[in-house]
Amino acid sequence: MPENTTATAPVRAMRLGVAGPVGTGKSSLIATLCRALAGELRLGVITNDIYTDEDARFLRSAGVLDPERIRPVETGACPHTAIRDDVTANLLAAEDMEADFGPLDLVVIESGGDNLTATFSPALVDAQLFVLDVAGGGDVVRKGGPGIARADLLVINKTDLGPYVGVDVARMAREGREAREGSPVVALSRHDEASVRTLTDWVRDALTRYRTGNHAPVDPGPMAPHFHADQDAGDAGDAHPHTHAHGPTHPDGTTDADGTADAHHGHAPANAGHGA
Amino acid sequence: MSTSPLLLAMLGDARLPSGGHTQSAGLEPALRAGLTPAGVPAYLRSRLRTVTRVEAGTAVVARAVAAGGGDLAEVEAAWAARTPSPALRANGRRLGRGYLRVLQTLWPGPVDARARTWSRPVVLGLLAHRAALAPADVARLVGYDDVQTATAALLKLEPQDPLLTAAWVNGLLPDIDEMAAQVARLRTPEQIPAHGAPLIERWAETHDTATERLFSA
Ligand SMILES: Nc1nc2c(ncn2[C@@H]2O[C@H](COP(=O)(O)OP(=O)(O)OP(=O)(O)O)[C@@H](O)[C@H]2O)c(=O)[nH]1
Ligand SMILES: [Mg+2]
Repeated sequence: MPENTTATAPVRAMRLGVAGPVGTGKSSLIATLCRALAGELRLGVITNDIYTDEDARFLRSAGVLDPERIRPVETGACPHTAIRDDVTANLLAAEDMEADFGPLDLVVIESGGDNLTATFSPALVDAQLFVLDVAGGGDVVRKGGPGIARADLLVINKTDLGPYVGVDVARMAREGREAREGSPVVALSRHDEASVRTLTDWVRDALTRYRTGNHAPVDPGPMAPHFHADQDAGDAGDAHPHTHAHGPTHPDGTTDADGTADAHHGHAPANAGHGA
Repeated sequence: MSTSPLLLAMLGDARLPSGGHTQSAGLEPALRAGLTPAGVPAYLRSRLRTVTRVEAGTAVVARAVAAGGGDLAEVEAAWAARTPSPALRANGRRLGRGYLRVLQTLWPGPVDARARTWSRPVVLGLLAHRAALAPADVARLVGYDDVQTATAALLKLEPQDPLLTAAWVNGLLPDIDEMAAQVARLRTPEQIPAHGAPLIERWAETHDTATERLFSA
Protein backbone atom coordinates (compact mmCIF):
# COMPACT_ATOMS: atom_id res chain seq x y z
CA MET A 1 0.00 0.00 0.00
CA PRO A 2 1.51 3.30 -1.00
CA GLU A 3 1.69 5.43 2.10
CA ASN A 4 2.82 8.98 2.08
CA THR A 5 5.37 9.66 4.73
CA THR A 6 6.27 13.27 5.01
CA ALA A 7 9.99 13.78 5.02
CA THR A 8 9.89 17.14 6.75
CA ALA A 9 8.22 18.03 10.02
CA PRO A 10 4.51 18.86 9.51
CA VAL A 11 3.44 22.44 10.17
CA ARG A 12 0.03 21.77 11.64
CA ALA A 13 -1.16 20.02 14.78
CA MET A 14 -1.55 16.28 14.82
CA ARG A 15 -5.18 15.26 14.47
CA LEU A 16 -6.24 12.34 16.64
CA GLY A 17 -9.59 10.65 16.03
CA VAL A 18 -11.50 8.91 18.82
CA ALA A 19 -14.16 6.49 17.55
CA GLY A 20 -16.17 3.65 19.05
CA PRO A 21 -19.76 2.68 19.88
CA VAL A 22 -22.09 4.90 21.92
CA GLY A 23 -21.26 5.26 25.58
CA THR A 24 -17.95 3.42 25.62
CA GLY A 25 -16.27 6.44 27.21
CA LYS A 26 -14.90 8.53 24.32
CA SER A 27 -15.72 11.91 25.89
CA SER A 28 -14.44 10.77 29.28
CA LEU A 29 -11.21 9.56 27.68
CA ILE A 30 -10.76 12.94 25.97
CA ALA A 31 -11.36 14.69 29.30
CA THR A 32 -8.73 12.42 30.86
CA LEU A 33 -6.28 13.24 28.06
CA CYS A 34 -6.88 16.96 28.41
CA ARG A 35 -6.43 16.79 32.16
CA ALA A 36 -3.14 14.93 31.78
CA LEU A 37 -1.72 16.80 28.79
CA ALA A 38 -3.07 20.36 28.92
CA GLY A 39 -0.03 21.47 30.90
CA GLU A 40 2.45 20.35 28.26
CA LEU A 41 0.54 20.44 24.96
CA ARG A 42 -1.62 23.03 23.22
CA LEU A 43 -4.92 21.24 22.64
CA GLY A 44 -8.17 21.62 20.76
CA VAL A 45 -11.21 19.33 20.73
CA ILE A 46 -13.93 18.84 18.12
CA THR A 47 -17.02 16.80 18.96
CA ASN A 48 -19.49 15.21 16.55
CA ASP A 49 -22.65 14.88 18.54
CA ILE A 50 -25.49 13.23 16.79
CA TYR A 51 -28.35 15.32 18.04
CA THR A 52 -27.12 17.85 20.59
CA ASP A 53 -23.96 19.54 21.69
CA GLU A 54 -24.02 17.30 24.77
CA ASP A 55 -20.43 16.05 24.38
CA ALA A 56 -19.08 19.55 23.88
CA ARG A 57 -21.01 20.70 26.93
CA PHE A 58 -19.78 17.76 29.00
CA LEU A 59 -16.19 18.49 28.07
CA ARG A 60 -16.57 22.22 28.66
CA SER A 61 -18.09 21.57 32.08
CA ALA A 62 -15.26 19.17 32.94
CA GLY A 63 -13.14 22.30 33.12
CA VAL A 64 -10.14 20.60 31.58
CA LEU A 65 -9.74 22.98 28.66
CA ASP A 66 -10.69 26.52 27.69
CA PRO A 67 -14.37 26.10 26.61
CA GLU A 68 -13.61 27.99 23.39
CA ARG A 69 -11.28 25.20 22.35
CA ILE A 70 -14.07 22.63 22.39
CA ARG A 71 -16.35 22.89 19.38
CA PRO A 72 -19.28 20.77 18.24
CA VAL A 73 -19.91 19.97 14.57
CA GLU A 74 -23.31 18.86 13.23
CA THR A 75 -23.25 15.69 11.21
CA GLY A 76 -26.76 15.57 9.71
CA ALA A 77 -27.49 12.35 11.59
CA CYS A 78 -24.56 10.72 9.80
CA PRO A 79 -21.66 10.46 12.27
CA HIS A 80 -20.20 7.80 10.02
CA THR A 81 -20.21 10.05 6.94
CA ALA A 82 -18.69 12.96 8.81
CA ILE A 83 -15.54 11.06 9.70
CA ARG A 84 -15.07 9.04 6.55
CA ASP A 85 -17.13 9.54 3.41
CA ASP A 86 -17.31 13.33 3.59
CA VAL A 87 -14.94 14.84 6.12
CA THR A 88 -15.49 18.45 4.99
CA ALA A 89 -17.26 19.76 8.10
CA ASN A 90 -14.70 18.27 10.48
CA LEU A 91 -11.75 19.32 8.39
CA LEU A 92 -12.98 22.93 8.25
CA ALA A 93 -13.58 22.88 12.01
CA ALA A 94 -10.04 21.61 12.60
CA GLU A 95 -8.62 24.29 10.30
CA ASP A 96 -10.65 27.00 12.06
CA MET A 97 -9.55 25.77 15.46
CA GLU A 98 -5.93 26.10 14.43
CA ALA A 99 -6.51 29.45 12.75
CA ASP A 100 -8.17 30.81 15.92
CA PHE A 101 -5.89 29.32 18.58
CA GLY A 102 -2.83 28.15 16.70
CA PRO A 103 -0.25 27.01 16.85
CA LEU A 104 -1.65 23.88 18.46
CA ASP A 105 0.03 20.54 19.11
CA LEU A 106 -2.96 18.23 19.09
CA VAL A 107 -6.54 18.44 17.84
CA VAL A 108 -8.70 15.60 19.13
CA ILE A 109 -11.84 14.76 17.13
CA GLU A 110 -14.55 12.71 18.84
CA SER A 111 -16.77 10.78 16.50
CA GLY A 112 -20.45 10.55 17.34
CA GLY A 113 -20.88 7.08 18.83
CA ASP A 114 -21.52 4.72 15.97
CA ASN A 115 -21.15 1.07 15.07
CA LEU A 116 -18.12 -1.19 14.81
CA THR A 117 -17.41 -0.22 11.20
CA ALA A 118 -17.15 3.55 11.76
CA THR A 119 -13.54 4.63 11.44
CA PHE A 120 -11.83 7.86 10.46
CA SER A 121 -10.54 8.65 6.98
CA PRO A 122 -6.82 9.42 6.79
CA ALA A 123 -7.92 12.59 4.98
CA LEU A 124 -9.14 13.82 8.37
CA VAL A 125 -6.91 12.34 11.09
CA ASP A 126 -3.29 11.35 11.44
CA ALA A 127 -3.99 8.67 14.03
CA GLN A 128 -7.05 7.16 15.64
CA LEU A 129 -8.18 5.37 18.77
CA PHE A 130 -11.03 2.90 18.80
CA VAL A 131 -12.77 2.68 22.16
CA LEU A 132 -14.70 -0.35 23.46
CA ASP A 133 -15.76 -0.94 27.03
CA VAL A 134 -15.96 -4.06 29.13
CA ALA A 135 -19.60 -3.33 29.92
CA GLY A 136 -20.44 -3.84 26.25
CA GLY A 137 -19.46 -7.49 26.68
CA GLY A 138 -16.26 -9.48 26.45
CA ASP A 139 -17.28 -10.83 23.06
CA VAL A 140 -17.21 -7.46 21.27
CA VAL A 141 -13.47 -7.67 20.48
CA ARG A 142 -14.10 -10.99 18.78
CA LYS A 143 -16.68 -9.40 16.51
CA GLY A 144 -13.84 -7.56 14.83
CA GLY A 145 -14.20 -4.76 12.33
CA PRO A 146 -11.80 -2.22 10.89
CA GLY A 147 -11.60 -0.13 14.07
CA ILE A 148 -10.88 -3.06 16.35
CA ALA A 149 -8.42 -4.66 13.94
CA ARG A 150 -6.55 -1.66 12.57
CA ALA A 151 -7.05 1.55 14.54
CA ASP A 152 -3.68 2.84 15.73
CA LEU A 153 -4.67 2.01 19.30
CA LEU A 154 -7.52 -0.12 20.65
CA VAL A 155 -8.78 1.01 24.05
CA ILE A 156 -10.69 -1.43 26.23
CA ASN A 157 -12.25 0.98 28.66
CA LYS A 158 -13.90 0.84 32.09
CA THR A 159 -11.84 -2.14 33.25
CA ASP A 160 -12.95 -1.30 36.81
CA LEU A 161 -16.39 -2.61 35.83
CA GLY A 162 -15.13 -6.08 34.84
CA PRO A 163 -16.14 -7.86 38.06
CA TYR A 164 -19.63 -6.33 37.98
CA VAL A 165 -20.43 -7.37 34.42
CA GLY A 166 -18.75 -10.76 34.53
CA VAL A 167 -16.07 -9.95 31.98
CA ASP A 168 -12.54 -11.35 32.19
CA VAL A 169 -10.62 -8.16 31.36
CA ALA A 170 -7.26 -9.86 30.84
CA ARG A 171 -8.80 -12.26 28.36
CA MET A 172 -10.61 -9.43 26.54
CA ALA A 173 -7.33 -7.51 26.18
CA ARG A 174 -5.53 -10.64 25.00
CA GLU A 175 -8.19 -11.36 22.39
CA GLY A 176 -7.95 -7.74 21.32
CA ARG A 177 -4.22 -8.16 20.74
CA GLU A 178 -4.84 -11.35 18.79
CA ALA A 179 -7.44 -9.65 16.59
CA ARG A 180 -4.88 -6.90 15.93
CA GLU A 181 -1.94 -9.15 15.26
CA GLY A 182 0.08 -7.46 17.94
CA SER A 183 -0.90 -3.81 17.40
CA PRO A 184 -1.27 -1.97 20.69
CA VAL A 185 -4.17 -2.36 23.08
CA VAL A 186 -4.68 -0.39 26.28
CA ALA A 187 -6.90 -1.72 29.06
CA LEU A 188 -8.06 1.55 30.58
CA SER A 189 -9.94 2.82 33.57
CA ARG A 190 -9.99 6.41 34.61
CA HIS A 191 -9.71 5.09 38.16
CA ASP A 192 -6.44 3.31 37.33
CA GLU A 193 -3.56 5.80 37.21
CA ALA A 194 -1.12 3.40 35.61
CA SER A 195 -3.48 2.71 32.71
CA VAL A 196 -4.00 6.45 32.18
CA ARG A 197 -0.22 6.86 32.01
CA THR A 198 0.00 4.11 29.39
CA LEU A 199 -2.58 5.98 27.31
CA THR A 200 -0.93 9.38 27.61
CA ASP A 201 2.48 7.89 26.86
CA TRP A 202 1.07 6.38 23.70
CA VAL A 203 -0.31 9.78 22.64
CA ARG A 204 3.06 11.45 23.32
CA ASP A 205 4.83 8.77 21.28
CA ALA A 206 2.36 9.14 18.42
CA LEU A 207 2.92 12.90 18.45
CA THR A 208 6.68 12.40 18.34
CA ARG A 209 6.36 10.00 15.40
CA TYR A 210 4.05 12.45 13.64
CA ARG A 211 6.44 15.33 14.16
CA THR A 212 9.46 13.48 12.92
CA GLY A 213 7.55 12.34 9.85
CA ASN A 214 7.70 8.70 10.89
CA HIS A 215 3.99 8.26 11.09
CA ALA A 216 1.72 7.65 8.12
CA PRO A 217 -2.04 7.75 8.55
CA VAL A 218 -3.59 4.35 8.02
CA ASP A 219 -7.01 3.73 6.60
CA PRO A 220 -8.49 0.88 8.63
CA GLY A 221 -10.39 0.20 5.44
CA PRO A 222 -13.69 -1.36 4.61
CA MET A 223 -12.84 -5.01 5.25
CA ALA A 224 -14.36 -6.35 8.41
CA PRO A 225 -13.36 -9.72 9.80
CA HIS A 226 -16.55 -11.21 11.21
CA PHE A 227 -18.27 -14.36 12.32
CA HIS A 228 -21.14 -16.10 10.72
CA ALA A 229 -24.01 -16.76 13.07
CA ASP A 230 -23.68 -20.53 12.79
CA GLN A 231 -20.03 -20.40 13.80
CA ASP A 232 -20.98 -18.37 16.81
CA ALA A 233 -23.36 -20.99 18.08
CA GLY A 234 -20.89 -22.98 20.12
CA ASP A 235 -18.27 -21.56 22.41
CA ALA A 236 -17.75 -18.18 20.84
CA GLY A 237 -14.23 -18.15 22.17
CA ASP A 238 -13.24 -20.93 19.80
CA ALA A 239 -14.82 -19.47 16.72
CA HIS A 240 -12.48 -18.32 14.02
CA PRO A 241 -12.82 -14.90 12.55
CA HIS A 242 -12.29 -14.65 8.86
CA THR A 243 -12.08 -11.87 6.41
CA HIS A 244 -13.90 -11.46 3.16
CA ALA A 245 -11.79 -9.62 0.67
CA HIS A 246 -14.13 -6.93 -0.64
CA GLY A 247 -11.31 -5.32 -2.54
CA PRO A 248 -8.04 -3.78 -1.60
CA THR A 249 -7.69 -1.56 1.39
CA HIS A 250 -7.91 1.96 0.05
CA PRO A 251 -4.60 3.73 -0.09
CA ASP A 252 -6.32 7.01 0.54
CA GLY A 253 -4.57 10.31 0.25
CA THR A 254 -3.08 12.02 3.18
CA THR A 255 -3.70 15.54 4.26
CA ASP A 256 -1.02 17.95 3.29
CA ALA A 257 0.26 20.86 5.27
CA ASP A 258 -2.29 23.46 4.23
CA GLY A 259 -5.17 21.19 5.01
CA THR A 260 -6.23 20.38 1.48
CA ALA A 261 -6.49 16.71 0.86
CA ASP A 262 -7.00 14.28 -1.92
CA ALA A 263 -10.19 13.25 -0.29
CA HIS A 264 -11.70 11.49 -3.23
CA HIS A 265 -12.71 8.05 -2.08
CA GLY A 266 -15.06 5.59 -3.49
CA HIS A 267 -16.19 4.08 -0.20
CA ALA A 268 -19.90 4.68 -0.36
CA PRO A 269 -21.88 1.85 -1.86
CA ALA A 270 -23.94 2.93 -4.84
CA ASN A 271 -27.23 2.91 -2.97
CA ALA A 272 -26.07 4.37 0.26
CA GLY A 273 -26.50 8.08 -0.28
CA HIS A 274 -25.09 9.55 2.86
CA GLY A 275 -24.27 6.23 4.39
CA ALA A 276 -24.50 5.82 8.12
CA MET B 1 -22.29 25.41 -24.88
CA SER B 2 -23.25 21.96 -23.70
CA THR B 3 -22.28 20.18 -20.52
CA SER B 4 -21.66 16.49 -20.14
CA PRO B 5 -24.75 15.13 -18.39
CA LEU B 6 -22.39 12.99 -16.33
CA LEU B 7 -20.57 16.04 -14.97
CA LEU B 8 -23.89 17.42 -13.79
CA ALA B 9 -24.80 14.05 -12.29
CA MET B 10 -21.52 13.90 -10.43
CA LEU B 11 -21.83 17.41 -9.03
CA GLY B 12 -25.45 16.78 -8.05
CA ASP B 13 -24.66 13.51 -6.33
CA ALA B 14 -24.97 13.62 -2.56
CA ARG B 15 -21.81 11.50 -2.37
CA LEU B 16 -19.69 14.39 -3.62
CA PRO B 17 -17.68 15.17 -0.47
CA SER B 18 -18.52 18.85 -0.13
CA GLY B 19 -20.18 18.85 3.29
CA GLY B 20 -23.77 18.65 2.01
CA HIS B 21 -24.82 16.04 4.54
CA THR B 22 -24.73 18.69 7.27
CA GLN B 23 -27.53 20.62 5.54
CA SER B 24 -31.34 20.54 5.57
CA ALA B 25 -32.10 23.51 3.26
CA GLY B 26 -33.82 25.20 6.17
CA LEU B 27 -36.14 22.24 6.71
CA GLU B 28 -35.14 21.40 10.29
CA PRO B 29 -36.20 24.78 11.73
CA ALA B 30 -39.18 24.93 9.35
CA LEU B 31 -40.56 21.66 10.75
CA ARG B 32 -39.93 22.91 14.24
CA ALA B 33 -41.91 26.03 13.42
CA GLY B 34 -44.88 23.91 12.36
CA LEU B 35 -44.38 22.94 8.71
CA THR B 36 -45.86 19.47 8.13
CA PRO B 37 -44.13 16.81 6.00
CA ALA B 38 -47.00 17.02 3.51
CA GLY B 39 -46.17 20.70 3.07
CA VAL B 40 -42.60 20.03 1.97
CA PRO B 41 -43.20 20.14 -1.82
CA ALA B 42 -44.88 23.54 -1.45
CA TYR B 43 -42.04 24.68 0.82
CA LEU B 44 -39.55 23.68 -1.86
CA ARG B 45 -41.50 25.52 -4.59
CA SER B 46 -41.40 28.63 -2.41
CA ARG B 47 -37.65 28.26 -2.04
CA LEU B 48 -37.19 27.80 -5.79
CA ARG B 49 -38.99 31.12 -6.32
CA THR B 50 -37.06 32.99 -3.62
CA VAL B 51 -33.85 32.08 -1.79
CA THR B 52 -32.84 29.27 -4.14
CA ARG B 53 -33.37 31.53 -7.13
CA VAL B 54 -31.03 34.08 -5.54
CA GLU B 55 -28.43 31.34 -5.06
CA ALA B 56 -28.80 30.05 -8.61
CA GLY B 57 -28.67 33.57 -10.06
CA THR B 58 -25.54 34.28 -8.07
CA ALA B 59 -23.85 31.12 -9.34
CA VAL B 60 -24.73 31.97 -12.96
CA VAL B 61 -23.40 35.51 -12.59
CA ALA B 62 -20.25 34.31 -10.79
CA ARG B 63 -19.63 31.94 -13.67
CA ALA B 64 -19.99 34.77 -16.21
CA VAL B 65 -17.79 37.12 -14.20
CA ALA B 66 -15.12 34.42 -13.77
CA ALA B 67 -15.24 33.72 -17.52
CA GLY B 68 -14.76 37.42 -18.23
CA GLY B 69 -11.86 37.74 -15.80
CA GLY B 70 -13.88 40.05 -13.53
CA ASP B 71 -13.80 40.46 -9.75
CA LEU B 72 -15.83 37.81 -7.94
CA ALA B 73 -15.76 39.87 -4.74
CA GLU B 74 -18.44 42.05 -6.38
CA VAL B 75 -20.62 39.00 -6.92
CA GLU B 76 -20.04 37.97 -3.32
CA ALA B 77 -21.13 41.42 -2.13
CA ALA B 78 -24.27 41.24 -4.29
CA TRP B 79 -25.11 37.80 -2.82
CA ALA B 80 -24.53 39.02 0.73
CA ALA B 81 -26.79 42.03 0.15
CA ARG B 82 -29.54 39.62 -0.93
CA THR B 83 -29.00 37.23 2.00
CA PRO B 84 -30.16 39.20 5.04
CA SER B 85 -29.74 36.40 7.61
CA PRO B 86 -26.24 36.38 9.14
CA ALA B 87 -26.69 32.69 9.94
CA LEU B 88 -27.39 31.90 6.30
CA ARG B 89 -24.45 33.99 5.17
CA ALA B 90 -22.12 32.18 7.56
CA ASN B 91 -23.50 28.83 6.48
CA GLY B 92 -23.20 29.71 2.79
CA ARG B 93 -19.57 30.66 3.30
CA ARG B 94 -18.79 27.43 5.14
CA LEU B 95 -20.30 25.54 2.23
CA GLY B 96 -18.22 27.68 -0.13
CA ARG B 97 -15.07 26.42 1.58
CA GLY B 98 -16.28 22.86 1.10
CA TYR B 99 -16.76 23.42 -2.63
CA LEU B 100 -13.41 25.18 -2.83
CA ARG B 101 -11.78 21.91 -1.71
CA VAL B 102 -13.65 20.09 -4.47
CA LEU B 103 -12.61 22.74 -7.00
CA GLN B 104 -8.95 22.76 -6.01
CA THR B 105 -8.71 18.98 -6.08
CA LEU B 106 -10.69 18.21 -9.23
CA TRP B 107 -9.98 21.36 -11.29
CA PRO B 108 -6.79 22.74 -9.80
CA GLY B 109 -5.57 26.19 -10.71
CA PRO B 110 -4.79 29.54 -9.16
CA VAL B 111 -7.59 31.05 -7.08
CA ASP B 112 -8.03 34.45 -5.51
CA ALA B 113 -6.73 34.56 -1.93
CA ARG B 114 -10.16 35.80 -0.80
CA ALA B 115 -11.89 32.72 -2.21
CA ARG B 116 -11.86 31.09 1.24
CA THR B 117 -14.38 33.68 2.37
CA TRP B 118 -16.74 33.33 -0.58
CA SER B 119 -20.13 31.73 -0.42
CA ARG B 120 -21.14 28.51 -2.06
CA PRO B 121 -22.86 30.07 -5.13
CA VAL B 122 -19.82 32.21 -5.91
CA VAL B 123 -17.44 29.27 -5.60
CA LEU B 124 -19.85 27.12 -7.62
CA GLY B 125 -19.82 29.78 -10.34
CA LEU B 126 -16.04 29.65 -10.42
CA LEU B 127 -16.18 25.87 -10.49
CA ALA B 128 -18.71 26.00 -13.35
CA HIS B 129 -16.35 28.20 -15.32
CA ARG B 130 -13.34 25.91 -14.69
CA ALA B 131 -15.27 22.71 -15.35
CA ALA B 132 -17.05 24.15 -18.41
CA LEU B 133 -20.52 23.75 -16.94
CA ALA B 134 -23.19 25.66 -18.91
CA PRO B 135 -24.99 28.54 -17.16
CA ALA B 136 -28.38 26.82 -17.13
CA ASP B 137 -26.74 23.69 -15.74
CA VAL B 138 -25.10 25.39 -12.78
CA ALA B 139 -28.52 26.93 -12.01
CA ARG B 140 -30.13 23.49 -12.32
CA LEU B 141 -27.47 22.12 -9.99
CA VAL B 142 -28.29 24.71 -7.31
CA GLY B 143 -32.03 24.02 -7.61
CA TYR B 144 -31.64 20.25 -7.63
CA ASP B 145 -29.27 20.29 -4.68
CA ASP B 146 -31.71 22.37 -2.66
CA VAL B 147 -34.60 20.00 -3.34
CA GLN B 148 -32.57 16.84 -2.67
CA THR B 149 -31.05 18.33 0.48
CA ALA B 150 -34.44 19.09 2.03
CA THR B 151 -36.04 15.77 1.10
CA ALA B 152 -33.02 13.77 2.30
CA ALA B 153 -33.12 15.71 5.58
CA LEU B 154 -36.85 14.98 5.92
CA LEU B 155 -36.04 11.26 6.02
CA LYS B 156 -33.90 11.90 9.09
CA LEU B 157 -36.23 14.40 10.77
CA GLU B 158 -39.68 12.91 10.05
CA PRO B 159 -39.14 9.51 8.45
CA GLN B 160 -41.33 8.90 5.39
CA ASP B 161 -41.37 6.32 2.64
CA PRO B 162 -38.17 7.30 0.77
CA LEU B 163 -39.94 6.56 -2.51
CA LEU B 164 -42.56 9.15 -1.65
CA THR B 165 -39.89 11.85 -1.32
CA ALA B 166 -38.17 10.61 -4.49
CA ALA B 167 -41.50 11.09 -6.27
CA TRP B 168 -41.70 14.64 -4.88
CA VAL B 169 -38.25 15.38 -6.28
CA ASN B 170 -39.28 13.98 -9.63
CA GLY B 171 -42.40 16.14 -9.58
CA LEU B 172 -40.30 19.24 -8.87
CA LEU B 173 -37.87 18.74 -11.77
CA PRO B 174 -39.93 20.98 -14.12
CA ASP B 175 -39.94 23.71 -11.45
CA ILE B 176 -36.15 23.44 -11.20
CA ASP B 177 -35.80 23.70 -14.98
CA GLU B 178 -38.12 26.69 -15.07
CA MET B 179 -36.15 28.48 -12.33
CA ALA B 180 -32.89 27.71 -14.15
CA ALA B 181 -34.23 29.10 -17.42
CA GLN B 182 -35.16 32.33 -15.66
CA VAL B 183 -31.66 33.00 -14.35
CA ALA B 184 -29.51 31.38 -17.05
CA ARG B 185 -28.97 34.59 -19.01
CA LEU B 186 -27.91 36.81 -16.11
CA ARG B 187 -24.42 38.26 -16.47
CA THR B 188 -23.79 41.04 -13.95
CA PRO B 189 -24.15 41.32 -10.16
CA GLU B 190 -26.95 43.90 -10.26
CA GLN B 191 -29.05 41.47 -12.32
CA ILE B 192 -29.11 38.89 -9.52
CA PRO B 193 -32.71 38.60 -8.28
CA ALA B 194 -33.41 39.87 -4.77
CA HIS B 195 -36.33 37.79 -3.56
CA GLY B 196 -36.59 37.48 0.19
CA ALA B 197 -38.29 34.77 2.24
CA PRO B 198 -38.62 36.39 5.67
CA LEU B 199 -39.84 33.28 7.48
CA ILE B 200 -37.03 31.14 6.12
CA GLU B 201 -34.56 33.81 7.16
CA ARG B 202 -36.05 34.12 10.64
CA TRP B 203 -36.11 30.35 11.15
CA ALA B 204 -32.46 30.20 10.10
CA GLU B 205 -31.62 32.69 12.84
CA THR B 206 -33.52 30.70 15.47
CA HIS B 207 -31.88 27.49 14.35
CA ASP B 208 -28.43 28.98 14.64
CA THR B 209 -28.79 29.20 18.42
CA ALA B 210 -30.64 25.89 18.95
CA THR B 211 -28.68 23.37 21.02
CA GLU B 212 -30.52 20.33 19.68
CA ARG B 213 -30.14 19.96 15.98
CA LEU B 214 -29.10 17.41 13.41
CA PHE B 215 -28.24 19.90 10.67
CA SER B 216 -26.17 23.07 10.52
CA ALA B 217 -28.86 24.97 8.62
N1 LIG C 1 -16.73 2.86 35.59
C1 LIG C 1 -16.27 3.63 34.62
N2 LIG C 1 -17.14 4.39 33.94
C2 LIG C 1 -16.65 5.16 32.94
C3 LIG C 1 -15.28 5.20 32.61
N3 LIG C 1 -15.11 6.05 31.56
C4 LIG C 1 -16.33 6.53 31.27
N4 LIG C 1 -17.28 6.01 32.10
C5 LIG C 1 -18.72 6.29 32.11
O1 LIG C 1 -19.32 5.81 30.91
C6 LIG C 1 -20.42 6.63 30.55
C7 LIG C 1 -20.28 7.07 29.10
O2 LIG C 1 -19.11 7.87 29.00
P1 LIG C 1 -18.89 8.93 27.84
O3 LIG C 1 -17.50 9.44 28.00
O4 LIG C 1 -19.99 9.91 27.79
O5 LIG C 1 -18.99 7.97 26.58
P2 LIG C 1 -18.97 8.35 25.03
O6 LIG C 1 -18.33 7.22 24.32
O7 LIG C 1 -18.38 9.69 24.84
O8 LIG C 1 -20.51 8.40 24.71
P3 LIG C 1 -21.22 8.95 23.37
O9 LIG C 1 -20.55 10.22 23.01
O10 LIG C 1 -22.65 9.13 23.79
O11 LIG C 1 -21.07 7.88 22.34
C8 LIG C 1 -20.44 7.78 31.52
O12 LIG C 1 -21.41 7.53 32.50
C9 LIG C 1 -19.04 7.76 32.11
O13 LIG C 1 -18.99 8.29 33.41
C10 LIG C 1 -14.37 4.37 33.38
O14 LIG C 1 -13.17 4.33 33.18
N5 LIG C 1 -14.94 3.61 34.35
MG1 LIG D 1 -19.19 11.35 23.86
